Formats: sequence, structure tokens, C-alpha cells
Amino acid sequence: MIATSGENRGDSPNLSVTIGRLDLKNPVMTASGTFGYGEEYAPFIDLNRLGAVVVKGLSLEPRSGNPPPRIMETPSGMLNAIGLQNIGVRVFIDEKLPFLREFDTAVVANIFGETVDEYRRVAGILNGAEGVSAIEVNISCPNVKKGGIAFGALPELAAEVTRGVRGETDLPLIVKLTPNVTDITAIAAAVEAAGADAVSLINTLTGMSVDIETRRPHLANVTGGLSGPAIRPVALRMVWQTVRAVKVPVIGIGGIMTASDALEFFIAGATAVQVGTANFVNPTAVLKILDGIEEYLVRHKMADIAELIGSLKTG
Amino acid sequence: MMTGKISDNRSVAPGHFLMRLRLPSSFATPAPGQFVMIRAAAQGEPLLARPLSVFDFHRYPDHCVLELLYRVAGRGTALFSGMRPGDEATVLGPLGRGFTLPAGIRRTLLVAGGVGVAPLHFLIRSGLPTVRGQSPGAATFYLGAKSRDLLTGVEGLGGRCDLRICTDDGSRGHCGPVTDLLKRDIDDCDPKETVVFACGPAPMIRVLEPLLKDTLIPCQVSLEERMACGIGACLGCAIAVGGPGRKTEYRKVCEDGPVFDLRDILPVAPFDSREGCI
Repeated sequence: MIATSGENRGDSPNLSVTIGRLDLKNPVMTASGTFGYGEEYAPFIDLNRLGAVVVKGLSLEPRSGNPPPRIMETPSGMLNAIGLQNIGVRVFIDEKLPFLREFDTAVVANIFGETVDEYRRVAGILNGAEGVSAIEVNISCPNVKKGGIAFGALPELAAEVTRGVRGETDLPLIVKLTPNVTDITAIAAAVEAAGADAVSLINTLTGMSVDIETRRPHLANVTGGLSGPAIRPVALRMVWQTVRAVKVPVIGIGGIMTASDALEFFIAGATAVQVGTANFVNPTAVLKILDGIEEYLVRHKMADIAELIGSLKTG
Repeated sequence: MMTGKISDNRSVAPGHFLMRLRLPSSFATPAPGQFVMIRAAAQGEPLLARPLSVFDFHRYPDHCVLELLYRVAGRGTALFSGMRPGDEATVLGPLGRGFTLPAGIRRTLLVAGGVGVAPLHFLIRSGLPTVRGQSPGAATFYLGAKSRDLLTGVEGLGGRCDLRICTDDGSRGHCGPVTDLLKRDIDDCDPKETVVFACGPAPMIRVLEPLLKDTLIPCQVSLEERMACGIGACLGCAIAVGGPGRKTEYRKVCEDGPVFDLRDILPVAPFDSREGCI
């Protein structure tokens, strides 16, 4: 038998990361709204391999969502206006969480509400649920008590939601930021000060598309959230800016389709990534991305992903 | 998800193509009415796979062949139409819930318009309507198209059902919609022993509901909607279901369908042009 010389022979690089108080065995998560409640993908991939599953956004009560048409493919991406359809937090705990508990994978509950009180109540219900590893707060929703402006659009509103949720739960708290703002770093700093353990970004960019023959919008909701490779450079820029503005870990999201896409985010400073639209194109995409990250670290003789995170060379 | 190799991909009518894909034996046998998500292996754009109904399926000792009939309707299907034998495509499926034959059925009425023939062609080819010892005559296929050159799938139906052809321009068969002929026959059918299977454009489906309203004849209709994932995760392919006295709810065409009970589905409301949660 010929001995090989690679330092990494038999030693896989360390992929584990810590997001606040949340330990993940690897930094690849699934993005909320693109992976159902996990069970939809169980026939295609081994969920045990994932760093974390972030489930479809949960509200206090079930929501039926928007009328169709709800999605439209656009250049290098897609628009969606699902309307946050979900089964509600209690049904999630009773019917979906037991399945997810069977896996050796962190479960992150993504939550949203229309008032701060709703956010607090959803977080409070999840706080006692066995098998929830962390909460991710979607602050892109309109605040019905503040004229429909998104919670995530203003630093003070974003901080108010974060404080409210923080007061209800001991679980690690990730706040998911919207890119539809003037300065995302100001929002990130505000939620950090309000008690967030990490921030994840970006949520979808608001967009629109029109059928010129009927002169109707392609989506019944008129506007929708743009995801996919089209938004990746914007997401990467915002992650890079945010990493320099806050001390808490940053989770990169936005059009990650391949390992090389994910690696860009790590180099820019993301501690973990979430894979979204790629799950729709190929249900095994998230595992290919994970494998590709590991191969890259081996090829670059890095023993730990920490060596890669934030290693961007400028100047 | 599996990779298949195109063995044939030819135009069968203006703007209509029939693709044959060779797949590994491990590909599960589809049930009539099921669909696949298909994407060219070398495809960058468009990003998403496209849902296509199974037109026919053949199992051989060392492989299987999937046949897909499609109409070029946009960027995705235009790309498919340019694929050549030897090209590879990734296929996810079979997916969704297909047609079911209710107990006690002795007469099957199939109603298809345009490319909607695909799932019903597979239904006939798989012999579902002729189980329980029925004769082929127990199935009547009402097949419509705009004109005779746009009629597709006819060859595969011969001898397996009583075929009634309709064209909008009268260039073959009855001049008018398929529902004209169905209307004439429907009163002679015993609702306890009859079922209607349908797939076609929205105007055809809209006519079926009032036509069958006063009968008790069950009707299963295969629907289409834009889909991103095909496996119930994206919630993009919602259709409204409900009915008198029932709350309107959304169902997923990919997972709860694509075959639905005609009486459950609600007409698509005009867009209400609101801006809300996305």
C-alpha cells in the first residue's frame, strides 16, 4: 500500500461552528420557507447531515397564505408571494417537531407576527418545546399597528421585536434581516444591542414582474420576494458590511446554489450559511454544498473552517 | 432525482413535442395522473425544473422509458424542445396524487383539451378504466383541440376506448368544444357507475362544473400551476378549494394533487392586487 502524503488523510477538517450559544456540527443550514418542516426533504437526503434545519415561518395562529399565482420565475431567480402560509406554532410542536427530534440536527424555529405581542407569544410557546435549538425571528413582516411598515425597516422597531422575543426565551436568538432598507448595518447593530445572539441575512428583495399581454402582474399579490442567484452579489455585499458592523455571528443567505457560492460568504465573514432556492432546484443541493465546502478546506489544507471565515483579502 | 438520457424528442404538432427519456430501472413506475419535475442537466437558465405529466411509461429488463408530451409555453419548454437524443435531463418523480377509480364504476368518460391529453393518455394506456373486466367500449374519450393538426396522442388511444374528436374550427370531428359531446351523453349515464376524468385548459374546466352540477357523477380533474419544487415545500402551486358553506383553503397542486375533485376546486378569482406579506 502506498502511503499518501496529505496532512488531512483520515482527518476531516473541523466544520463545527458556534452561533452565539448554538453549536452546529457544520455551518450549512436550510433557509426558512424553502425546506418545509424538514419532512418534505427526508425522502431525498439524510437530514442528519445538515448543520441545522430552519423551518417554515411560524405564527401564533395558522395562516392560509396568499391567493395564487404565488410564484414567478425571473432571470436567475424567482419571485414569491406565499403570504407566510403555515400551520401555526402549536400544530408545529404537536405534529412536526416529533419527526424532527429524531434527527441529530439542530432545529431552528423561524417565527413572525403582526404585532410585537404576537412575536412574544410565539417565542414563549416555543421556549418550552423539546427539540427546538434556536429561534430565528423574521422581521420582514408588516407591523399592523404601525401602518404596515416592516418591523425590519427601522432600527427602533427591529430592536423592539428583538427585546420582546428575548424576554420570552432562553433559546439562542437569530434575527433575520430584510435587505429592503437604506442601511442594513444600522438594523443589525440595533438588534445586537437588543439581545440578538446572531443575525441572518438577507431575506428576499422585494420585486415585481408583469405579463405584458394581459397587463397583469405575474403574482396575485403584485409584489413578491426575489430569491436565487440574482440576489447573491447584493447579499454578499450586505453580509460583508454587517460582519464589520456587529460582534455577533452573521449567517449568510442569498442565492447560494453551489459550494463555491457558499465559500464566498465564509470568506466575506459569515460564520454559517443558509441554502434556500437551491433546495427547489435540486433537493440534494444542500448536501452537495456541504461536501464541496469540505473538499475546498482539504484542498486548501485548512484544518478548521474558522481559518476561512473572514479571510477576505483587500487592499 | 435521477438523470435520464433523451432517446427521442420530436415535434408531433405545431408547438407540441414528445420527449422519450431513458431512465434507470430504479425509477418508480408512475401512476396515471402523476407528474415529474424535469430540467436539462446542462441547464443554467431557467433556474427551476418544469412539471410535466406522464404521457406514457414503459419498463424494460434493464431500464425504463418515460414519455412526456409538452407544448412550448415559455422559456423552460422552449429549451426542452431544442434538446437532442443523447442529451441528459434530471428527473424528480413520479410526484403527486393521480387518478383513482372509485368502486363500482362501469363507465369512464375522459375529457381532454389540447396538451391536457397527456395524463389521460397514460390513464388509458395503463388500462385503469378497463379493470374489473370492462370492455374497452366502457371508456369514452372526448378529445378536443383548436384544429386537426393540433390533435396529439390520438394514435395511442386506438382500440382502447371509444374516441370522440372535437375541433374548434371543425377541421376534424365535431366542430365545437368537447363539452358539447359530453353534454349529449351525460344524461344516459348512471351516476353510480360513471366517472369523469378531465384535463385541459381553464375554460374547459369551467364548463365542466355546471355541466355535471345536477348529476351525481364524480369528476376528477388534473390541474397545473407554476411550481418551484414539486414536493410540497415551496407552497407556490396553491389552488383554492372549498365550496358552499366551507371555508376557502389552499391546497398544493404538487402534493395534494395534481388530480382534484372538480367540486372541491374554486374558480380562480381575479387578482385582488393587494400588497401584503410576501
